Amino acid sequence: MENVKIDIQDLNVWFGSKHVIKDVNMKIKPNAVTAVMGPSGCGKTTLIRSINRINELIRGSRTTGEIYIDKESVYSKDTDIFELRRRVGMVFQKPNPFPKSIYENVAFGPKLHKMASGEELDFIVEKSLKGAALWDEVKDRLKENAFSLSGGQQQRLCIARALAVEPDVILMDEPCSALDPAATAKIETLIRELGKSYTVIIVTHNLQQAARISDFTAFMYVGQLVEYGLTKRVFEKPESELVEEYITGKFG
Amino acid sequence: MVRLLDSGLEQLTVMVYKSGEVAKSALSLSIRGFMNGKDASETVRDLSDVITSMTVEIENKAFELIVKYQPVASDLRIINSYMKIAYDFERYGRYAWDISFTHKKLGALGECAVASNLMPKLVEKVSEMVSKSVKALREHDAELAKTLADTENEVDELYFAYLNQLSKAGAQSKSVMCNLLVSRYLERIADHTTYVGEAIVYIATGEKISLR
Repeated sequence: MENVKIDIQDLNVWFGSKHVIKDVNMKIKPNAVTAVMGPSGCGKTTLIRSINRINELIRGSRTTGEIYIDKESVYSKDTDIFELRRRVGMVFQKPNPFPKSIYENVAFGPKLHKMASGEELDFIVEKSLKGAALWDEVKDRLKENAFSLSGGQQQRLCIARALAVEPDVILMDEPCSALDPAATAKIETLIRELGKSYTVIIVTHNLQQAARISDFTAFMYVGQLVEYGLTKRVFEKPESELVEEYITGKFG
Repeated sequence: MVRLLDSGLEQLTVMVYKSGEVAKSALSLSIRGFMNGKDASETVRDLSDVITSMTVEIENKAFELIVKYQPVASDLRIINSYMKIAYDFERYGRYAWDISFTHKKLGALGECAVASNLMPKLVEKVSEMVSKSVKALREHDAELAKTLADTENEVDELYFAYLNQLSKAGAQSKSVMCNLLVSRYLERIADHTTYVGEAIVYIATGEKISLR
């Protein structure tokens, strides 16, 4: 049987009268990194934000079709959105730590979900910071304000914050676009590691980054999924002429 | 809009194609010398050295393009294949030099103790394959490249038939050794033309096939 973590079926999304996602069907594998590429405005961010229903926070948005995570409907009336967003963590383009201590940033989610307190919470914070490859750099200053960290460290803190609530899926929307090359390299290494235990979906404009860190690559164009397959194959021999032209810089 | 990478790829294409043309000339010169009994070893050696230098330049250019532009898809296939093809052209040149050197040391075709029409046929087929491989490269013509497989089979048949003739002659003269070596070099050149053909098919279609 096919190994599928997220099954997107006939997905359509509108913002007002603008049709931004058009009949997308996509099966995403577990414990792998899937990159979503495409020119600006093609719908890649909207696609991943459909998975944890964040699009609904935008006035005038409308979604049809279905998304299943482990065969459970994301768009069912019975879906617990609070629980959905715990299972599907998200890391944004710019690091957005809370104006709190490093510790409190990571502990925030588990506290909110009443997952732990006391020593158990300390354990979760340490585990999450280790999972985000940040522990060694901050273990002696957990009470410092998160804004004292560098941009790259802040982004890893946001990843730790996402990991703290034990998600299955991690969505990343251009997580390195505001970072320098050294910080980017650390995040990329981290994403490869996370891909072994989590289903990671990353939107990126950086083609080489997609080639380096993802197992699968999806290419979107004007709201449609044009090509989706193994990253190695897509970057070596794309099936679509459009993808060939886009990744070789002939249009975009 | 023309990409910065495009001018680099154009330069690389010209370099590889020129290398193929020089290799073709070196081989033609060495074969004609061997067939007509005219020593061309010095010129062929110089040409072979030129091709070796060109191969180094092609590799340097290819690395420069990879580092600067991080090419993917058809761009990457072209650069990767050109590096392989440059090496094969270098081998054409090296075998051309081997033929000339063997001729100089052991004698020309006319001095062979075994009279046979197989060597001229072998020469004709291999020369045709070399020309075809350079032409297919210039046009990125996968269909033409694929036809090299048939000619390579014919070369193998001629080569083994010729070996058979030479062995039956029972002669141990240096002219027999010479023809043995030259036919072997020709057979190897034919192999390298198929490697070039495979690289051209990969550039044009993305398919990795074997033409042997």
